[in-house]
Amino acid sequence: MIIVIRTGWATVSASFTHRVLPYDGVDEFLGGALPFLRDGVDAGDRVVAVTGVGREELLRDALGPAAAGVEFADAATWYAHPTRTLADCLGDADNTAWQGRRLRVLGDPVWASRPPLEVIEWQRVEAIVNVAFQGTGASLLCPYAASLPAGVVAAARRTHPESLRGVRAVANPGYMDPWAYSALCDGEPLPPPPGDADALKIDRPDLYWLRAYVSDYARQTRLPEEGVQRLLVAVTEVVTNALRHGEPPIVLRLWTDASGGPALVCEVTDEGRWPSGAAYGLVPPRPAVDGTGGETGAEGGGRFGLWAVRLLCSIVQIRAGDGGTTVRLRLALPAVPAESVNGV
Amino acid sequence: METPWFAKRPVSAVRPGDHAWLAYSGAAERDAVIGPFVREGLQTNEKVVYVTDLPPESLPGLTPAPRPGVRAGDPADADSQADLRAGLAAYTRTGQLRVIARRDACLDRDGGFEPAMMLDTLSREVEAAFGQGFRAVRLTTDHSWVLNGPEAAGLPRMLGCEHRVGDAVSPSTMAMAICQVDRRACPRDQLVALRDTHEVLVEVNPEFDDGILKIVRTFEPNGLRVEGELDAARHAVFAEKLAQVSTARRRVHLDFSRLGFIDLGGLGLLAQHATRLHADEALVLDHLPPDVENVIEMVGWHRLPGLTRGGDGLPETEDVL
Repeated sequence: MIIVIRTGWATVSASFTHRVLPYDGVDEFLGGALPFLRDGVDAGDRVVAVTGVGREELLRDALGPAAAGVEFADAATWYAHPTRTLADCLGDADNTAWQGRRLRVLGDPVWASRPPLEVIEWQRVEAIVNVAFQGTGASLLCPYAASLPAGVVAAARRTHPESLRGVRAVANPGYMDPWAYSALCDGEPLPPPPGDADALKIDRPDLYWLRAYVSDYARQTRLPEEGVQRLLVAVTEVVTNALRHGEPPIVLRLWTDASGGPALVCEVTDEGRWPSGAAYGLVPPRPAVDGTGGETGAEGGGRFGLWAVRLLCSIVQIRAGDGGTTVRLRLALPAVPAESVNGV
Repeated sequence: METPWFAKRPVSAVRPGDHAWLAYSGAAERDAVIGPFVREGLQTNEKVVYVTDLPPESLPGLTPAPRPGVRAGDPADADSQADLRAGLAAYTRTGQLRVIARRDACLDRDGGFEPAMMLDTLSREVEAAFGQGFRAVRLTTDHSWVLNGPEAAGLPRMLGCEHRVGDAVSPSTMAMAICQVDRRACPRDQLVALRDTHEVLVEVNPEFDDGILKIVRTFEPNGLRVEGELDAARHAVFAEKLAQVSTARRRVHLDFSRLGFIDLGGLGLLAQHATRLHADEALVLDHLPPDVENVIEMVGWHRLPGLTRGGDGLPETEDVL
């Protein structure tokens, strides 16, 4: 694998690491996590431990005075949204590297309470990390408990190049190319839309009417007002892409889905095929920190657009094959009616 | 602050019965409103009454727009000046254009402002217009000199005058008036008091308006007010208008208070424009609606370099215009 070293990062080793720490019991957890954190504090790294409250106490006790050099973050907040978390963490890694330091993260995600569709996206993020963090010099260690479902642990060995055994890193023989793994995440065909889904054929390029239609539908659900605006921006982007690059007929469908966390689902299909190697908007665009341009919003409908769509929605599912293209946007609905909606 | 008792109209939508208020920020804004007001009147068989000491060819906004390749002082420029003068002379002969000096319209023997005399002058001109065969009368004058003048009684006199002009114009089926004041001529509370004697606020004609997106030039601050929805169908016209206000190395403000929607391509377009600005300049987004701001925050201001978040609430123009 090629390691890209960019100017401005010269003071930091570009050797980014992303390791899984499989553990069975507290001792194995501490056996891997403690040296990782202590080494970081000793080396002057920016050290972040993302974990639940119980684990935080455990780590603080075990670290002793070194705990002062560790930033603790609550896992439920830190792992709020796959695309956002990836972007924020990458931003931290870039900024830390820019200051001539290394970012070191112990990341203990919350797996148990997540609906299956979300689990797939978090696993995809674990794979994409290997592409996105190249050149940042960051060190990421992800503890996986043996008590997790077997599939989750098995997936971790495919998405992390190395495992930590005690203090020794060993290569994971099952490690997959991140893009191949990501394609695997999209391997399952999407369940067909329900028969009573609202369907609208899009044949005019002016999307004003489409937005009126979508917002009418969305306002009958429990989607908060700011969610409606995010949905409108996302739908506009996806339909604009379909009008530019896809093939008619372009059809929009809307429904609400109670399975796997209640969500408003908005699907856009067209008959077009995406070129092989087309970007799915999975890698966050880098802001122009060094003033040399970088990837800004200027790309509009390109990679930036699809990435931003992922940011605006809870989950984005894309199926681009010989049978046409489907982009499904899911926006989580509050489980109980929102007491107050944002906006005026 | 909502001001529902005011109707806000672009200059071309001013109609008989309107007693309209223009507090301009400078010559450019004044010319962009008064120019069309006078021109459109003359072109549509309406009488234009302008109380001013300026000669007709120097009326605001009537100077011929510079033509490509023609510089001031060129023979071609002199030609167009001559054309304008000849045209205005013809309108003056037929009585369609009445440029009345202040001395004759509203000054007493000592040169002081005399509201009753102004009222008489305007009434006389409006009454005559019907017999002259004009279908409407457009009245305008710039009151800044009254407020700037040495008399402390300037403001009360003007308020009295405006009330009476309003009473005369509002029920009329023929007369419409625009009262101009240089915003810099008097303090804000006086501006508000004067504005409140009018029921119509007049502004420039929109640069673009197709019922979905409306783009209006703003002068202070320099920029555009963008209303409605901006998406790929209207990126080109928006980019064009944005480029037009970005020429003079001035900060550009976009008033988004009435922006209902902007797509990702539109945000990209803003960022792209901002990166081409001079290093110490920025594109300022004023009065962002919460929903729109939420989307920008989610995408990240840092991913849209060169864009700056401006003021909150309603634009100042909203309550003083």
